[in-house]
Amino acid sequence: MKLLATLTASLTATAACALVSTTVLAAETITINSFGGAYETAHRKCVIDPFEKETGASVQIVTAYSADAFAQLRAQKDAPQFDVIHFSGGQEIVGAKEGLLSPLDPAKVPNLADLYDFAKKNVAEGEGPAYSIAAIGLLYNSEKAPKAPTSWKDLMDEAYADHIVLTDISNGYGMLGFLMLNQAEGGSLEDIEPGLEAVKTLLGRGAVVVSTSPEIQQEFAQNDAWIAAYASDYAYTLEKAGLPAKFVQGEEGTPASFITANLVAGRPNQDLAMKFIDMTISKEAEACFANELRYSPTNSKVELSDEVAANMVYGEDAVKGLIRFDPQVIEANRSDWVDQWNRAIAR
Amino acid sequence: MSDRTENLVLVLPGLLLLALAFLVPIGQMLVLSVEGENGFTLAHFSRFLTDSYYLGVLWRTIRLSIVITAICAAIGFPFAYIMAHVGPRIRLWLVLLVILPLMTSVVVRTFGWMVLLGRSGLVPDILRDLGLAGRNFSLMHTEAAIVIGMVQVLLPFMTLSILGILTRLDPRLEEAARTMGCSFLKTIRTVVLPLALPGIVAGSLLVFTLSASSFVTPNLLGGSRIQMLATSIYRQVTQTLDWPFAAAQATILFVGVLLILIPYARLTGARNG
Repeated sequence: MKLLATLTASLTATAACALVSTTVLAAETITINSFGGAYETAHRKCVIDPFEKETGASVQIVTAYSADAFAQLRAQKDAPQFDVIHFSGGQEIVGAKEGLLSPLDPAKVPNLADLYDFAKKNVAEGEGPAYSIAAIGLLYNSEKAPKAPTSWKDLMDEAYADHIVLTDISNGYGMLGFLMLNQAEGGSLEDIEPGLEAVKTLLGRGAVVVSTSPEIQQEFAQNDAWIAAYASDYAYTLEKAGLPAKFVQGEEGTPASFITANLVAGRPNQDLAMKFIDMTISKEAEACFANELRYSPTNSKVELSDEVAANMVYGEDAVKGLIRFDPQVIEANRSDWVDQWNRAIAR
Repeated sequence: MSDRTENLVLVLPGLLLLALAFLVPIGQMLVLSVEGENGFTLAHFSRFLTDSYYLGVLWRTIRLSIVITAICAAIGFPFAYIMAHVGPRIRLWLVLLVILPLMTSVVVRTFGWMVLLGRSGLVPDILRDLGLAGRNFSLMHTEAAIVIGMVQVLLPFMTLSILGILTRLDPRLEEAARTMGCSFLKTIRTVVLPLALPGIVAGSLLVFTLSASSFVTPNLLGGSRIQMLATSIYRQVTQTLDWPFAAAQATILFVGVLLILIPYARLTGARNG
């Protein structure tokens, strides 16, 4: 009998211990998404490691692109698993509308004050602030391409023949590149027919469609690609990989993709999550992202070396001059457009 | 405990797992697929079944699965026959050889094919050197690439299903047929093949269902331009966020596979007892 009592007592003690330790653990862990590859490495270096060091909390990273991450966030509506979620395709607008995201408390995110106004426009509605901006332009092979492109219309130049890489519009950058090509061809957000026609023409000449960033690198490295519409940061990734890739802004304009850090609603440790977002938009983190990956910063206090500033869009006026296709229109039309795109490219 | 309760206890964990991991999600999917803004609707199904684009996707899925199954059977049967007739040592090596593809991750294996089949890959290069293909020839993002990639993965399922039957075959049956004057091919056709049919059917069922529902290989080797049902469902879920329509497509895939499997299994089951 005595043995049984001791056993019960020790069991209860163990259970209590386990309970305590899990609650402590839960309070000190936040879950975020990152975009994998070089991005995740930089993310770790610029934000995650400093955050873990400063707060003693640990960060769990789930690798998921914006669309996948958003699908997960929606699926987990009743029991969200992310604390901070990063988007590059304007998903925060839908997320905020559906109540999946929480507005930030400016008192707990002091760095918000230093951001350019356009980067924090709808923070009060729950849309997270933009901490990096990727500019979409033309990526080309400076050794093999018969000539350097200068405008978006050059994509249609027959000189590039079948060495063109198109990006599927399921990819956020692909969507922006397509919309810009559409605009250059005479279309608008109300009418994407000219863009689809252009894409069909290019496919007829033998263009390749890819859907992820690493595939673009593969096309340039192995499959003799000459030109693609893509983001400036990726041009830098190709350059670092030793490929003769150059980035130019098309003369018709340069669309931008805002990368945002969003606070997920319905999570217990929002204060810690806000601390994470605060560090994400700090001038140190943004400068680090610019140095590592050549993303344009949104924090007005960031200062970059000339060398880094040279291959990106930098400074409030330059960044403000980027075209931002209305993400709400994109979101409203996304499923229609993807459907039309799929039909246009289907074999 | 009686035998019956013992059996029940033994089967319970499996049943629970099946219920939780299979029946509940399938049930949810079925509900989602008929959910509209105003309650019950079949709009998602009629949208799929009246649109030539989606019907094309469905047809491609079925067509490629049949081709993959046929190629697997055509390669798998002779291979299994040889395996059944060699000594145990060599058989072990052959089994290893055939299941080797299953030992690497599907993604890694598929990336291997991407390197081989791409524009500057080994296969198009050789074809170009032989003058069999043009300058821009590439096997990537073609139906052929999907078939090649899938056959490699699914061949073990076919071969091992057939091998299981062939090793249990009485060798004297074949000897008897040969003594009675059958040629080698006739022996295969009239004796071995009919007896191996349950194995071929089982293997075909496995291969067909696996290829109809596979996602990674068609997605990577077929690219965005060649959609199969599983890739189309993935796109609806992650890109257009139209979950009810995705659920309807998943249901169609599910029912389609069932419809093909049941009569097939019945037919061959009746013949082979």
